Amino acid sequence: MPHAIFTAKRTPLTPTLKADDDVVHLNGYTLAAATPDAANARRGQLDRCALLDASALPRLGLRGPNAAQALIQQGYCLPERPNTASFQPEGSLIAQLSASEFLLLGAPSLTPSPWADSEQPLRPGPGCYLLPRQDTHGWLALTGHCVAEVMAKLCGVDLSPAAFPVGGVAQTSVARINAIVINASTASRPCFYLLMDSASATYLWSVLEDAIDEFDGARLGLMDYLAIAG
Amino acid sequence: MKLMHCPLNGPRNISEFIYGGELKEMPSPESCSDREWADYVFYSDNTAGVVTEWWMHVASSYWFLAERHTVTDEVLRTFDPKEIFTHRVTFTATEARP
Amino acid sequence: MNRYEPPAALHDTATDRLAAPMGRRIDRQAPRRFQFEGTPYAGYAGDTLASALIANGRYLLSRSFKYHRPRGPLTLAGQDANTLVQLPDEPNVLADTQPLTEGLSVYGQNYAGSLDADRDMKLGALAKFMPVGFYYRAFYKPKGVWKYWEPLIRKKAGLGVFDLDADAGYHDKAYLFADVAVVGSGPAGLKAALTAADGGARVLLIEQEPELGGALTYARFATDTAPSERLLDDLVAEVEAHDNIRLLCNATCNGWFKDHYLPVIQGRRLYKVRAKACIVASGAFDQPAIFRNNDLPGIMLASAAQRLMRHYAIKPGQRAVVLTGNDDGYLAALDLVEQGVEVAALVDMRAAPNETKLGDAVEAQGIARYREHTIFEAHHAKAHHRVTGVELRPIAGRGEVGEARTDIACDVVCMSAGYMPAYQLLCQAGGKLSYCDETAQFAISGLPKRLYVAGSANGFHALDRVVHDGARAATQALRDLGHQVDVLDAPKGALEQVNYPWPMFAHPKGKEFVDFDEDLQIADIINATRHGYRDVQLVKRFSTVGMGPSQGRHSALPTARLVAAATERSVSDTGVTTARPPFAAETLAHLAGRHFDPFRQTPMHRRHVELGAHMMPAGDWQRPAYYPSRAGTLERLRCQQEEARHVREKVGIIDVSTLGGIEVRGPDAAEFINRIYTFGFLKQPIGRTRYAAMTNEQGVVIDDGVSCRLAEDHFYVTATTSGVGRVYQSMLQWNAQWRLDVDIANVTSAYAAVNVAGPLARQLLERVCTGVDLSAEAFPYLGLREGFIGEAPAYLLRVGFVGELGFELHVPSRYGEYLWDTLMEAGKDLELRPFGVEAQRLLRLEKGHVIIGQDTDGMSHPFEINMGWAVNRTKPFFVGRRAVDILHSHPPLRRLVGFRLPSTSAKPLEGHLVLEGERISGNVTSCEYSPTLDAIIGLAYAAPERGEPGQRITIRTEGGETVTADVVALPFFDPDNQRQEL
Repeated sequence: MPHAIFTAKRTPLTPTLKADDDVVHLNGYTLAAATPDAANARRGQLDRCALLDASALPRLGLRGPNAAQALIQQGYCLPERPNTASFQPEGSLIAQLSASEFLLLGAPSLTPSPWADSEQPLRPGPGCYLLPRQDTHGWLALTGHCVAEVMAKLCGVDLSPAAFPVGGVAQTSVARINAIVINASTASRPCFYLLMDSASATYLWSVLEDAIDEFDGARLGLMDYLAIAG
Repeated sequence: MKLMHCPLNGPRNISEFIYGGELKEMPSPESCSDREWADYVFYSDNTAGVVTEWWMHVASSYWFLAERHTVTDEVLRTFDPKEIFTHRVTFTATEARP
Repeated sequence: MNRYEPPAALHDTATDRLAAPMGRRIDRQAPRRFQFEGTPYAGYAGDTLASALIANGRYLLSRSFKYHRPRGPLTLAGQDANTLVQLPDEPNVLADTQPLTEGLSVYGQNYAGSLDADRDMKLGALAKFMPVGFYYRAFYKPKGVWKYWEPLIRKKAGLGVFDLDADAGYHDKAYLFADVAVVGSGPAGLKAALTAADGGARVLLIEQEPELGGALTYARFATDTAPSERLLDDLVAEVEAHDNIRLLCNATCNGWFKDHYLPVIQGRRLYKVRAKACIVASGAFDQPAIFRNNDLPGIMLASAAQRLMRHYAIKPGQRAVVLTGNDDGYLAALDLVEQGVEVAALVDMRAAPNETKLGDAVEAQGIARYREHTIFEAHHAKAHHRVTGVELRPIAGRGEVGEARTDIACDVVCMSAGYMPAYQLLCQAGGKLSYCDETAQFAISGLPKRLYVAGSANGFHALDRVVHDGARAATQALRDLGHQVDVLDAPKGALEQVNYPWPMFAHPKGKEFVDFDEDLQIADIINATRHGYRDVQLVKRFSTVGMGPSQGRHSALPTARLVAAATERSVSDTGVTTARPPFAAETLAHLAGRHFDPFRQTPMHRRHVELGAHMMPAGDWQRPAYYPSRAGTLERLRCQQEEARHVREKVGIIDVSTLGGIEVRGPDAAEFINRIYTFGFLKQPIGRTRYAAMTNEQGVVIDDGVSCRLAEDHFYVTATTSGVGRVYQSMLQWNAQWRLDVDIANVTSAYAAVNVAGPLARQLLERVCTGVDLSAEAFPYLGLREGFIGEAPAYLLRVGFVGELGFELHVPSRYGEYLWDTLMEAGKDLELRPFGVEAQRLLRLEKGHVIIGQDTDGMSHPFEINMGWAVNRTKPFFVGRRAVDILHSHPPLRRLVGFRLPSTSAKPLEGHLVLEGERISGNVTSCEYSPTLDAIIGLAYAAPERGEPGQRITIRTEGGETVTADVVALPFFDPDNQRQEL
């Protein structure tokens, strides 16, 4: 039966695969395999307007009076203040959501970030609590010149480059649901990460597909994205 | 649509917030009279002036306090509850009620 | 209405248009053909429907609302309702703003027979039987007569016709952010935008018309037109080139909301603009004069005639009379004569123009000038009712004329009586209007912070002052936004006299229209005050003045003057009625287009759909209500009963992932739970579950769930699907005050969960579960274990739930679908069957479970619903403790009881009343037919004395039929709870 191709771990948007699709496994999740041809066209699409499901990448939350200290001790580089994010040398991202809460997002790469190899490398001592962000939140990425304009159709916060620089974090309402928007742009390509309640991921995906239509946006598989950006 | 300045997130549409009631000091549940408790639960002063009230930014689950003028609807200040709630609150045990 | 098919040869209008530079909006290389009322016409791209029709000599476009008077364009700018026409898929379209497109088929509205020969015009003859406000005093007596009148009136009222099958097309919304939003791109708006942009602000310039420039595109400001033409070109070029200015043309700002939140409609998109500051340079509406038959086709504002010429290269007529109360009429007369229109007379209501050389210029063109005269009556032709001439009279006093009369033939009349600032957005923002008797103009003051007014909306009309005022407003905005800038002073000089104070001349035969939309004459306004309606708000409601599509743009000013005079007050004191959004009509498609309807789905959603489940909304979740029956049908009762029976006899599985889950960790975890819930939790053993009910400070039960203690300082508490959001917010609010050392996390979406229930449940789990001894001894009822289902780490809870042996399995949601697949596969030969919310409800009801929010309401306290056992009276505090004590000490008002009726009885529905004689003592909260018991069972509130089994309660069901039910002990099924504790 078709279900046998899937591993045990699934993202909210995994069900869009079909029985005869070519698949690979990433972090225990089943994804459509990358298609090597037309990489240039895909790169162009990423630069213009693309939408992808990054939910198979690792993420976790850390909260508590000692959370910041725990991260610093492990050698991570923390953002300056709440609602900002800092890139780590190995490519993962740490966003500070409040005075005592952090969100760690894995690097867009095939090699998992150190904290993601298993769920307990960060030993949460007293005053420091792990949050199950791998399961509570879905993770989508929106790339290209269009990002601020697409978001302006869905969100009442000004996310233009002047108002929302790289590393900016906005916790707000997107298309009437709660979401976290992170400006994870690189020098070469604008990119927004969107994190939302995992139960709302299919809803937000359909909203975004509609919103990017105006900009000739298209969806892209995560493996294709990692092949280009990883 | 009004803007509210959240101490954590900055200025946001008021639709991103929910209202949590006026800041009221709880009388001692152990020793106050029935009437005092009913007064605390059901009545408010209906002040025409500046009141302090609870607001929550829903997307970040962050509670804070705001000073608002009820006549002009102007929010004068918003601040973290830690300014007022400075230490751990305990409730002492009393004898079991019959 | 069919699509228009143009005939082979057509009347060529090319030679009828004025030569360039007239016609800045039309493309003479791009002809367009259309039809109106079945007659073919031609125009150009850039024409509007109205301009193209006028170019073809047709002025009559519509019939007025009440008297069916023939009407033609008044403003040519979409600011009046005389041009409402019918398109095939849309009624009430403004012909003077609707762009002309090839093949358009247009009809008039609101007529019987034809637009030109409207049979309903005879209603005009009945005018004396329809005085102002007549609808309030007719049509309702004798009682019941309205039923006769209503269909007639409905047929006569209303304008266009809807095509209910028309597709509105894709509409959507988007936010737009700016530092400074400028509304209006006339000279003040253009200058304000440039000044703000030069100062470093991000500017959004919003213009209602297709091009920038406002009055600069059609009006004349001096005898020499070159300077204003240059100003227009320069300002527009600079604005278009400026990086800091974003332009929106064909965009209407429809309101002002707090903190400069502006709805701007452009095409099919509604922009939600958020600006930090806002400059309203919306201009001023030029006002008509009021005289008998001032509403005839061919009688228009002077600015309308100028638009015809400059925008569309159309000669307004052959022979014109200009009636003016300010210098702009003189300038319009010069325009007309220069474009070949014979100006038979310039009728100045004043003694002299402000600028004397204008009088000389006009006379130099051979135009006859009348001073201190007015038009007293306009005459019309039979065909098309176009104006054919006017009767002039000398002005003898305020609103009074002398006897001497002069008749002048003409086919177009241009009026320029003064200006009313476009105050709507500003008054929506709280601005106050005050009237200056000296200048006869309204002015605005009292604007909120960072909202500014500039240009003619601010009372300036001379071009250099208007431009300066735009710059002044921008410097104020820049300064208030924190930029370093010198703020300019207001333009200097005396107040400008552009308003004639009383351009209204009552005629013994009436028909001097104050409000064109509502067919209201001078006497109608005055008579409203004679009925005692002194307040202008009441005059409006009684007479309907200002309630039509033009919303008082031309009627507010004369109404204020007339009412002031009639009630012996100043015009300032009289004022105008409240301005409310929207400024212009907006469609439902703009408001509702592409709306967001969030939904939530569990990780197993696809499986429910594949199985053919009938899905139902539970809040914003989508849940299976029931699955197809064995026969493959979807019938609620049949499927519900089949599924429920299967759970009791074999084993069923239900997706309960929507159940709320909150994780509480830390040294104060137990203390925190202890304060939030009514039961005692400090001593809850690790590995056990405990029922957790929550009250609010009023003592009302607001949510419940199960508390699982995973460790000394680690609790996982479930909550109801619909309540968990509020519970979580409430917990955070309490701990913001208590500051206990605890972390509280809403982990509802982190876990997917199923409940496997039925006599075969243990057998099924033994096949797939590892790490847990599932025997009854090792894993007793209410226990909690951690193990694995296949690869998935799981919490296993033994809870009562549906009253059968049952295991609730919680896995991280990434394993949800896998969990479902694993169990369904393993359960095949055990006949594992999914069941839905309907069956769950029935099963739970059979066990007498109280559902918070269904069986409880806003007053239910624990003792009313048999939950006194869950209230710990010895611990120091829980939320609502004191109120629960108080309520418990009062005599009870009602009790929730279980009742039973024979299966043949009429079945009560939720909400049906429970009666004690005539008195309402309670209501039914749940009721179902139980196949297991072959009886109707339910829960209801009843009088406290009915609380004991053996009592009977009376329930009034549909149609008033009463049934008497037996009160029985709960649970209805398996009273010793043996089955769930296996």
